[in-house]
Amino acid sequence: MTDLTAMMAGDRDVVMSCRVRLARNVSGFPFVGRATHPQRREVLETVRAAAGPDEASVGLVGGGRVGASTAESLAWVDLAALPKRDRQLLWERHLISRQFAEGDSPRAVAVTPDERFSLMVNEEDHVRIQVLRTGNLLREAFDAAVRVDATLGSRLDFAFHPKWGYLTACPTNVGCGIRIGVMVHLRALRVTNEIEKVKRAAKELHLAVRGFHGEGSEATGDWFQISNQRTLGVTETGLLEEFAGRIVPAVVAYEREARRVLLERQRTLLEDRVFRGISLLRSARLLGLDEAMKQLSSVRLGVCLGLIPDVGLDTLNRLTIQLQSAHLRAGESGIESDDDERAARARVARTILGDQ
Amino acid sequence: MAAPFRPCDHCAKPAVVHNTVIVDGKMNEVHLCEDHAGAAGIQMPGQAPIHQLLGQLAQVAGTRPRGPVCPECGHTFHDFKTTGLLGCPACYDAFATTVGPVIERSHGGASEHIGNVPARADDANQRAALLQQLLRELETAVSAEQYERAAQLRDRIKDLRPTTAARIDAAP
Repeated sequence: MTDLTAMMAGDRDVVMSCRVRLARNVSGFPFVGRATHPQRREVLETVRAAAGPDEASVGLVGGGRVGASTAESLAWVDLAALPKRDRQLLWERHLISRQFAEGDSPRAVAVTPDERFSLMVNEEDHVRIQVLRTGNLLREAFDAAVRVDATLGSRLDFAFHPKWGYLTACPTNVGCGIRIGVMVHLRALRVTNEIEKVKRAAKELHLAVRGFHGEGSEATGDWFQISNQRTLGVTETGLLEEFAGRIVPAVVAYEREARRVLLERQRTLLEDRVFRGISLLRSARLLGLDEAMKQLSSVRLGVCLGLIPDVGLDTLNRLTIQLQSAHLRAGESGIESDDDERAARARVARTILGDQ
Repeated sequence: MAAPFRPCDHCAKPAVVHNTVIVDGKMNEVHLCEDHAGAAGIQMPGQAPIHQLLGQLAQVAGTRPRGPVCPECGHTFHDFKTTGLLGCPACYDAFATTVGPVIERSHGGASEHIGNVPARADDANQRAALLQQLLRELETAVSAEQYERAAQLRDRIKDLRPTTAARIDAAP
């Protein structure tokens, strides 16, 4: 049973997830693009040794003590040795960037078992600390990212300049090297054609608005990633306050108001979309990714408005990832053609949502 | 026969611009898609007037691109223009006059870091950056009439650099 009050309290009706990412480079090495493969391997080993074996040693729990009893191990994945499908799998789960998934140079990612933390080594910068949370838990994500930064920074010399701050390969990240971002579901604002206003306001506030998979993906669906663009001349806590205190509450309130208006003025049309969506996901035999995402968006709106009480947001979040291509191929053998994939997607949707 | 597929250095799109840049006898290949080539200021054949195209070709054919070179890693300003990336931390000083304004433009005119300082930044750098940060925080605290916080900040500034603290204490 969906608890609407609990959902509203965590902003989970609008904020699907949030992310804090820090870019750092190790002093004494060229940036990744300029580094030779032996240098990249050395960076990898240096960072890996500094991060240590588990959540405690990397600073996520237990105040950075090595081997605290509750700490889970970090899983290190060597990207260069990973099959293409598994790289895509990590990308679909938002654990690595698309750029990191491609190429053959020495690089690796460390991931915690709960997949809420990843440490990319040798992406565009030597170190990319990333903390993810479901719903609007920006402050929690921020605290975790800062703790890891402090822990690694106590063991590694990060490239730093008194004027420019943390030095990054791309000058657009210089300064704090921080990206704070939220993935929001703005279905009602899209339907009411008010999304352009959000995009314009975001631009004025020096924010980037991107699609489901971040950089390089178009914001064409109903999911939008909103993140800061300025990293210089701002403080980390200042940016956090701007996001958690101003931007996210404003976007959430705006979307909720659009939903309220839709429900009041176009209830039948709205219900029709929602119930068509859930019926389709529960009965289709062939399901393309675009269609699945579109219907998931309708169903998500229905769940958030209390129209589909037997489906929870966690189920939908899981489904949104599991219906992606590499996840389907990892879950079932024998998927070769596009039709095989569409059939598998329909099967997974029916299984998770309950075949009607 | 079609050319073998080669992705852009920055995204998954096919590269349409293939440049070879030679710096200090070392050859570097740059592969860019249409969008990233455009972003780096390179126009596609057919878009550019012929004299510009010839100019570009002459530049690519030259053995040593014009402009400053980073003494630490050999990265050139041309490399930066082509890829949008710097080669190493020393590039920030090597290209200060050219890259500085680009940085400021992309950060809404900001020209100085005011955020956190790494725990192991060398002492001088760390003190300078921290001092700047504390002074700003002090200014904010004073204008917000947060006198207790301002007093704490003054103490920290005093510990950091007694001469500066004396100046602040002497202020009305």
